Amino acid sequence: MIKVVKITAVWCSGCLIMNKVWNDILKEKNIDTISLDYDFDADSVIKYNVGKILPVFIFFKDNKEYKRVIGEEKNELKSIVKELDL
Amino acid sequence: MRRIIKYLFIFVFFFFGISLVNAKEVTMEFFYGYTCPHCAKEEIFLEELEKKYGNLTIIKYETYKSEENNKLLKQRVEELKIEKTGVPLTIVEDKYVLGYTESFNEKIEQMVIDASIEDRKIKEEVGDFLTYNLPLIGKINVKETSLFLISIVLGLVDGFNPCAMWVLLFLLSMLVGMKDKKRMWLIGLTFLITSALVYMLMMLSWIEIVSSIKTSVILRNIIAIIALVGAVLNFRGYLKSNKSGCNVIDDKKRTKIFTRIKNFTTEKSLILALLGVILLAVSINIIELACSAGIPIMFSSILGINNVTSAMIILYTIVYIFFFLLDDLIIFSIAMITLKVTGISTKYSKYSKLIGAIFMLLIGLVLLIKPEWAMFNFN
Repeated sequence: MIKVVKITAVWCSGCLIMNKVWNDILKEKNIDTISLDYDFDADSVIKYNVGKILPVFIFFKDNKEYKRVIGEEKNELKSIVKELDL
Repeated sequence: MRRIIKYLFIFVFFFFGISLVNAKEVTMEFFYGYTCPHCAKEEIFLEELEKKYGNLTIIKYETYKSEENNKLLKQRVEELKIEKTGVPLTIVEDKYVLGYTESFNEKIEQMVIDASIEDRKIKEEVGDFLTYNLPLIGKINVKETSLFLISIVLGLVDGFNPCAMWVLLFLLSMLVGMKDKKRMWLIGLTFLITSALVYMLMMLSWIEIVSSIKTSVILRNIIAIIALVGAVLNFRGYLKSNKSGCNVIDDKKRTKIFTRIKNFTTEKSLILALLGVILLAVSINIIELACSAGIPIMFSSILGINNVTSAMIILYTIVYIFFFLLDDLIIFSIAMITLKVTGISTKYSKYSKLIGAIFMLLIGLVLLIKPEWAMFNFN
């Protein structure tokens, strides 16, 4: 069971780019996604131990963190999706 | 190989202009009549020209009221074998321009440039570079083009520095949720125009400071050092941004700005909302200037130390600011039209840092090692 936690911010240019990439992926794949805003969902974001770079995509496999993509890394994101054979 | 060298030479000259030799003192004789409208127009142009060329002295002869000057005019007309006597008459050495319309400006300036260069061989070479024929574009003046290109390149590089971008994006995310389109445009444009004006004011103030002390070689070295420090900062920024993405801005600062944006976007009174956005743009641009790693200071210094007319300084600054704001303008327009906020890849900002570093290194080294390659007119 795969779940993705996506942490972005409205003021982050790279997040807007990655949001688009993720939405394109979601058009083809059915992935359970929790979208959090760095500012407006600060209470939930804090438990994911996010560093100083956004966006962050955290992949959970069977409720355990599998991998995370930090920053505007389209290829890395796509390759994890491929790797998980989602 | 010769072809490559030629194009390399042209490239360097496009960016750094020309001052191959020390300029010779040039005297221009200007014969005019006090009621002649063309003379009055030319006089304005000549004043600008005298400011632009430090080596130029203009001697003015009023010929309607002064018989002595009128006699001198006739004498010069005879000497130069000019077909008819009239004013305005502009003479530099054995060259002259009779009459005046704005289309003569280039010819008059060329007379000054030609007379400034003593060595005939160099004069011929420089002459080729000063006006260069490009396919489709036609004749262009290299000296003006070099500053024009510097304005565009540095403006673009500075613009991709994402320092103030996050504020614009947050503002846009608030604006697109508004139902009043007119209000959206007004608030957004006020933010961008105020940002441009603040930036322009800061740059023009720096140009004024540099212009007032421009005769110093020490100043040239200080500017070279600013360029080199800027190059190091930009290069460090490039190396540090190995992971593209957005750096999280300090929580306190972010929350404070968010609250301000929320307050004025929800403010009922349009005037108070606009006042709020003006204050925000002013404070953000002043604070974030430090983030630009010296690029606007570098550019202002280049303008300040050159013999460029006030009108051209303003024009070049506007060009710089236009390209500086270009990415913001694109994002703003897309958001206002589609009501969706889009972002520009953070990867561009990484490469803009590298381009900025290379450019500033080049300018710094030229100023320190080969200042004569630059068109900066230091004495």
